[in-house]
Amino acid sequence: MSAGPWQLVGGSVQGPGKPSNQDAFDAGGSGGSGSPVILAVADGHGSAAHPRSAVGARIAVRQFVRLVGELMDTARSVELPEATLLRRLMSSAQHDLPRRLAAEWRREVLDHWQRQPGEAAGPEERLLLYGTTLLGAVLTPQLFAAWQLGDGELTVVDDDGSVSQPLAPERARLGDETESLGEAHAWRSVRVHWAPIVAPGRGPRLVALSTDGLSKSFAEPDGITRFVGGLDEHLREQGLEQVRAVLSGWLGEAARHSGDDATLAAAWRNPLGTEQPGRPDESVLEESG
Amino acid sequence: MTGMLAEGALLVTERGDQVEVVELLGSGGQGEVYRVRTADGGQAALKWYYPACATAEQQGIVQGLVARDFEDDRFLWPLAFVPAVADAGPGFGYLMELRPDRFRGLPALFRRQLRTSTVALLTACLQTVEAYQALHSRGIAYRDISWGNLFFDPANGDILVCDNDNAVVEGDASGIGGTMEFMAPELVRGDPGARPGTQSDLHSLSVLLFMVLMNHHPLKGRLELAIHCLDEAAERQLYGRQPVFMFDPVDSSNRPDPVEQGAVAHAWEAFPQSLRALFVHNFTVGLRDPSARVRESQWRDALRAVLDAVVECAGCGRQNATEPSATGPGACWGCGRTLVLPPRLVVITPPPRSERRILLRRGARLQQHHLVAEPARHDYGDRTLVAELVEHPSRPGRFGLLNRSDSAWTGLRTDGTTQQIAPGQTVPLRAGLELDLGPAWALVVAP
Repeated sequence: MSAGPWQLVGGSVQGPGKPSNQDAFDAGGSGGSGSPVILAVADGHGSAAHPRSAVGARIAVRQFVRLVGELMDTARSVELPEATLLRRLMSSAQHDLPRRLAAEWRREVLDHWQRQPGEAAGPEERLLLYGTTLLGAVLTPQLFAAWQLGDGELTVVDDDGSVSQPLAPERARLGDETESLGEAHAWRSVRVHWAPIVAPGRGPRLVALSTDGLSKSFAEPDGITRFVGGLDEHLREQGLEQVRAVLSGWLGEAARHSGDDATLAAAWRNPLGTEQPGRPDESVLEESG
Repeated sequence: MTGMLAEGALLVTERGDQVEVVELLGSGGQGEVYRVRTADGGQAALKWYYPACATAEQQGIVQGLVARDFEDDRFLWPLAFVPAVADAGPGFGYLMELRPDRFRGLPALFRRQLRTSTVALLTACLQTVEAYQALHSRGIAYRDISWGNLFFDPANGDILVCDNDNAVVEGDASGIGGTMEFMAPELVRGDPGARPGTQSDLHSLSVLLFMVLMNHHPLKGRLELAIHCLDEAAERQLYGRQPVFMFDPVDSSNRPDPVEQGAVAHAWEAFPQSLRALFVHNFTVGLRDPSARVRESQWRDALRAVLDAVVECAGCGRQNATEPSATGPGACWGCGRTLVLPPRLVVITPPPRSERRILLRRGARLQQHHLVAEPARHDYGDRTLVAELVEHPSRPGRFGLLNRSDSAWTGLRTDGTTQQIAPGQTVPLRAGLELDLGPAWALVVAP
């Protein structure tokens, strides 16, 4: 395992007046050989119909990190030409991972229900109690891939400074309606971004995953892309530690405006090289519910 | 998104034609696909390989395929080799036609993101079988059949096979490790002497057909759900060392999970026994014995017969694929009502004599391929339309056969009188009516 070029920053702030933070996130790895960067954020639906969604969000993040980690371990362990490996990985990423994520989430949620039973009747009703979105990404020296179910934003700053949202749905959804891991056949709604990195400097330099508590805090529709563009600028001009120090304040401000939990997990490729193995600031991680 | 080629980059094909990169269309498992502008002002698609995939072996395959000059509208075939130029970076690619928007990928079907019909799916399967048959008959093994290569028109089942750049002459030893879930078991296991070719294509083809019709992989039943870590060893077990068909009549260990995989069990019941029997044979005997796999001609015969036996449920309107040889109606897969079978047109082809049995459901069509015993291709388009079932414009519920061919038919009524039916004319549908369609004879049979 080698130190990689990516550094991580992330945090989650509970929305004002909410009984608990129903978002969850994780960020780990360095992007070096044997240490893929894996980012995930999940937004438990939080309304009265989904009283266990905070648990559902944590399970979604945990299962995503586990399954993507296993996929990358498998890719590393098999002895195949790189060309064949990429094809296999693409098939797994687009077809298998969404199905397995939905199935494993369902399995763990029903296990949780067994340990802490409530009043819901059938398995489908029980799953809805835990309803959550999921947005996740993986970065290796050869690959950038991301998966999304439901709302939230994947915002990417490319090496040339252009900002894009490759998983943005073709049509905006109305109000707070969103797709959910709690729905039957949830895997069918998973959107996948697949972007092999063919040469150094050809891939993204900042990958940011956020829940809609952050994007809803902006008055303008492009607020989130401008925010991530500004984050990239801050990182380059002021460095990672400075951004880590102020991130919880930014998220708190966003949560105050949106009235919702606000969560961000991001990976930044430092053009000056590796500063330190990256995990988000622990004090910010503690707020992640 | 940053691709390998910049917008505006100029490249020159091996034949000397210049193309200009317009935009990146997408990234795949082997390379990126760009929209390019050609020298004559038209547009084309350019596949550009990732550096790891731009091997000398791949270059040889692509140049060989271009030289074959294979003309078949069911394939997006490599048309011109495009070598690297200084400002475009290393690697190479090839030109092909752009995929028309009406063709959609199978992931959209699996995710229920498009509207289609039983007839369109069966037609897509039949066309897929014939497309690969056309390749195999030319001595070419595709070697990489999977859901990623096939696109279809959900309105009518037309297909387009893409990513044809791993096809080689049968027996060529060049390596290809396809997607494991489509690989024949002997290749997954790495049996001595096993090598991708026509026999392993037949396994991949059967998996693909099953996935199109059932929206599920035939070997992914309960055994897959029991695997918590789907690593290399688990995949080899599932697809190679111990593959078990979900509907193996003897081994029930891999049946669909009723909660997670209930939809595939329902879909399985919706297709007739003659089609299911081929899947059972291929995924039991055929898993162990490559030479016993279902051939394209068997799939073709079964699929075309089932296509001719589709009927709409009078209750819910859903299309039902009925058993072609059945004498009585079954029940609708959607609402459970007993189906009402319409009259049947029995067509006898010229020698080698064969019989086609076409259920005359609303909108039923007789095509040119129905009139010959061994058609080169089953085309369901308007250009090959011979007859169409139409409703009388002023007497609802009365139907007739409209002559859509360019030659007259002779009708023989049960009372022995004859009638000429010129192109554009309609003959009323009556049990016992015989039609001389030129090359073939037809008889209307009451249900």
